[in-house]
Amino acid sequence: MYRYTEFDRHFVHQRAAQFRDQLQRHLAGELPDDDFRALRLQNGWYVQRHAPMLRVAVPYGELSAKQLRALARIARELDGRPDGPYAGRGGGFGHFTTRQNCQFNWIALGDAADAMDLLADADMHGIQTSGNCIRNITSDSLAGVAVDEIVDPRPYCEILRQWSTLHPEFAFLPRKFKLAVSGAVEDRAAIAWHDIGLQLKKNEAGEVGFEVLVGGGMGRTPVIGTVIREFLPWQQILVFIEAIVRVYNRYGRRDNLYKSRIKILVKAEGPKFIDAVEAEFTAILERDVDGSAQLLTDADFERIESHFVLVPEGVVPETEPYVDRIAPQTAHGPAYGRWLERNVHPHRLPGYRAVTLSLKRAGQPPGDASADQMDGAADLADRFSLGELRVSHEQNLVLPWVRVGDLEELFETARAGGFATPNIGTLTDMIACPGGDLCALANARSIPIAAAITERFDDLAELRDIGDIDLHISGCINSCGHHHSGHIGILGVDKDGREWYQVSLGGADGSTLSGAAVAGKVIGPSFAADEVPDVIEAVIDTYRARRDGAAERFIDTVRRIGLEPFKAAAQTARHATAVPA
Amino acid sequence: MNFVDSNTDPWETVETGAEPGADVRAEADAARVAGPAPAPHRLLTLDQWKAVRATWPAALPVGVMVDNTVDVGELAVDLSRLTLVVLQFPKWVDGRAYSQARLLRARHRYAGEIRATGEVLADMLPLLQRTGFDAVLLRGDQSVATARRALGFFADGHYQGDVVEPRPLFLRERRPEDARVDARESATAPAPA
Repeated sequence: MYRYTEFDRHFVHQRAAQFRDQLQRHLAGELPDDDFRALRLQNGWYVQRHAPMLRVAVPYGELSAKQLRALARIARELDGRPDGPYAGRGGGFGHFTTRQNCQFNWIALGDAADAMDLLADADMHGIQTSGNCIRNITSDSLAGVAVDEIVDPRPYCEILRQWSTLHPEFAFLPRKFKLAVSGAVEDRAAIAWHDIGLQLKKNEAGEVGFEVLVGGGMGRTPVIGTVIREFLPWQQILVFIEAIVRVYNRYGRRDNLYKSRIKILVKAEGPKFIDAVEAEFTAILERDVDGSAQLLTDADFERIESHFVLVPEGVVPETEPYVDRIAPQTAHGPAYGRWLERNVHPHRLPGYRAVTLSLKRAGQPPGDASADQMDGAADLADRFSLGELRVSHEQNLVLPWVRVGDLEELFETARAGGFATPNIGTLTDMIACPGGDLCALANARSIPIAAAITERFDDLAELRDIGDIDLHISGCINSCGHHHSGHIGILGVDKDGREWYQVSLGGADGSTLSGAAVAGKVIGPSFAADEVPDVIEAVIDTYRARRDGAAERFIDTVRRIGLEPFKAAAQTARHATAVPA
Repeated sequence: MNFVDSNTDPWETVETGAEPGADVRAEADAARVAGPAPAPHRLLTLDQWKAVRATWPAALPVGVMVDNTVDVGELAVDLSRLTLVVLQFPKWVDGRAYSQARLLRARHRYAGEIRATGEVLADMLPLLQRTGFDAVLLRGDQSVATARRALGFFADGHYQGDVVEPRPLFLRERRPEDARVDARESATAPAPA
C-alpha cells in the first residue's frame, strides 16, 4: 500500500478545513445552493433523493484495515445517526462501487465537515469523487499479486493521483473524466470503457510504457476507447495526459450535457482529435516554461515507489520447489470446495492466494456492508492479509495476501461473518448501482431487481452449473451499474411514471473471458419489474439448453447462436398483465 | 492578487456596436470602420484590437477582452503590446479560461495583467492564482475578504506544477544527487507521432 507522507497528510487536512469553511458559509446562507453545488461535489458530496450522499475515494482500490474501520465508524456514528434528521430512515452502512469507492447515503449535511475530518485522520478524503473533474483513478484489484502482471500499476496510479489532485486547470472540465490503469495481461479494470484507459506494457527492450486509449465511456452513447498511442514511454505520461485533457477542456462540448464527454469529441473529430493532442504534447515539451518539468525520471519513480509497501512485511513466499497442500475440498462440506473454486485466486508468490470477500448475499444490496461487517472485514484483513484489502470493480473486497495454510481457517471465519458466499464471477455476483431507492438520478430501482434475482438463483449447485457470467444492473442511462458491459445487462427506464427494465445481452468489459469490450444489444421492449427474474431465468434456461457442452460459457453461447433464441425465450416470460412498453 | 474595484478601475470599453442614440451612433459607426480611436486605458474586444493593431501607438497601454473560446495563440505576436488581457467566465463552472491563462503565462510568456471577469466567485481564487491570473473582478455579491481567505489554504503547496510554482512536488523533492538523471530528460523528449 501507499503510505501517506507528511505532505499528503497535511494536504487532506487542509482540504477538510477548506471544505469546512465552504460548508459553514453555505449553512449560514452566505453560499447559495447553486454556487455550493460544484464545491461540495468535488469533495464527494451529492444531494440525493432523500439525503446527502458522501463518496469516499479509495485510490486505485487499496484500503487498509485501519481505513476500513474508519469507514465503519462513519457508518456507525454519522450515517443515519439516531439523533439526526434521517434517524429511522436508513443508514449504518457503506456501499462499495464499481469505481472502487465507498458511499454513504444517510449523513446529514451538518455533519459533513466532521466526516471529512474523520477521513483525513485515516489518510482518506472525498476529493474529486464527483464533479466535472478528473475522478478517482481505478485499477486492477489484484495489482501487485496477480500471476499475469506485467508491471505493478500502483506506483503509476499514485503518480497520476498526485498529478490530478486539485489540478488548477482541469477542475471544471465539460464533464466528468475517468482514468483506469491496468498492468496485467488480463484487463480487470475495464480500461476501454474509460475516458482514458492506460495499459502498462513492456517493449522488446524491456522498457515500461503505456498503451493509451481515449474516449471510452458508457451512458447514453456507449463507446469503446480508441488507441491514441501504442507505446508511450512512462516518463512522458503526465505530459501526454495533460495534452489530452487540455484539448478536451478547450474543445469538449458544454452546450449539451449528453454530448459533453470526451468520447463525443473523439468520435466527432476522429484523427483531428489525435492530431490536436499530439500537437499539444509537442508544444508543452518544446515551448512551455514548465513543460519538461513534468517528465519523470527513474529517481522520481523510485521516490514514489519508496512510499509504497508493495509487499507487506511478514510475507514469506514458499521456496521453490513448492507444492500447495490445500485441505481436501470435502473437509468443510461442499461450500468449501465451491469457495476455493470461485473466491480464491492464484497469486504470484508461491504459498499465497488472493481471496474475495463476497459482498453479494441474500438480503443485502450488492456491494453493501454494514458498520459491523466493515469491522469484520477489517479483522479478517488484519488476521489473514497483513492488514490490507482491495475494493474490486465488481463491488467486493479482496484480501491480497492470504497464506495457503490459512485458507481453511479464513473460510470458516469469513463464513461466520457472511463473506464466504461462493459466488464470485457467477450470476449472483452482480454489479448494481444503488438505483431509485437512493439515487436522485435513477429512473427505476436496482436493489429490488438484484434481490429478486439473487432469491431466484439461490441454489449454489445451480449457480455453479451456470458458471461464469457478468450480470450488470443500472437504474438509469448514466450506467453506474455498467449494464452496457454485462453479458446480461439490465437498465431501468421510466415510462409514464412507472419502472420498466430493458434487458441486453452480449456486452463485455474487455476481459479475456468476456472478449473485446463491447456494449450489449437490447433484446426487445422493456419488461415490468416483476417479469425481470422470469426473463433472466428464461435466458439462463436457453443457455443451458443450447450450450455446446458444460464447458461453453454463457457469453460464448450468446455469441455463437445469436440473440434470437434468447429473445424468443424472454418473450415467453411476459405476463399477461404486462403491456410491452 | 489584485481585486479590481469597478468604480475606480481606469480601464474602459469602447462601444462600436449599434447604439440607441443618434448622436453617438455616428461616432460608433466611425469607430466600427476605423476601429476605436487611441486613448489611454482602452479595453478593446478582440475584433476591435484586430482593427487597430496596425495603427495603435506603441507606447499607449491597451487591454484586450478575449472570449473563452479563443485560441490565445492568436494573440501571441501582440502580447508584448498588451498591458491587460481580460478572460471570461460566462459561468463559473466553465473552466476554459484557466487553460487560456496558463498558456498565456507558460507558453507565450505573457507578463502583463491577466484579469478574470464574468461569474467570478471567491472560491475560484486558488485556481485563478495557480493558472496565472493576477487580477479579478468578482461577481457583485462576492466578498473580497472571503476571496482572500480562500487563498490561504494549502500553504504547503500542491502536487502538480502551476504558474506560481512550475515545479511539481516530485521535482521539488528531487535531491541534488538526482541531478544526474535530470540530464537524461533529453533522452525522453517526445517522439514524433
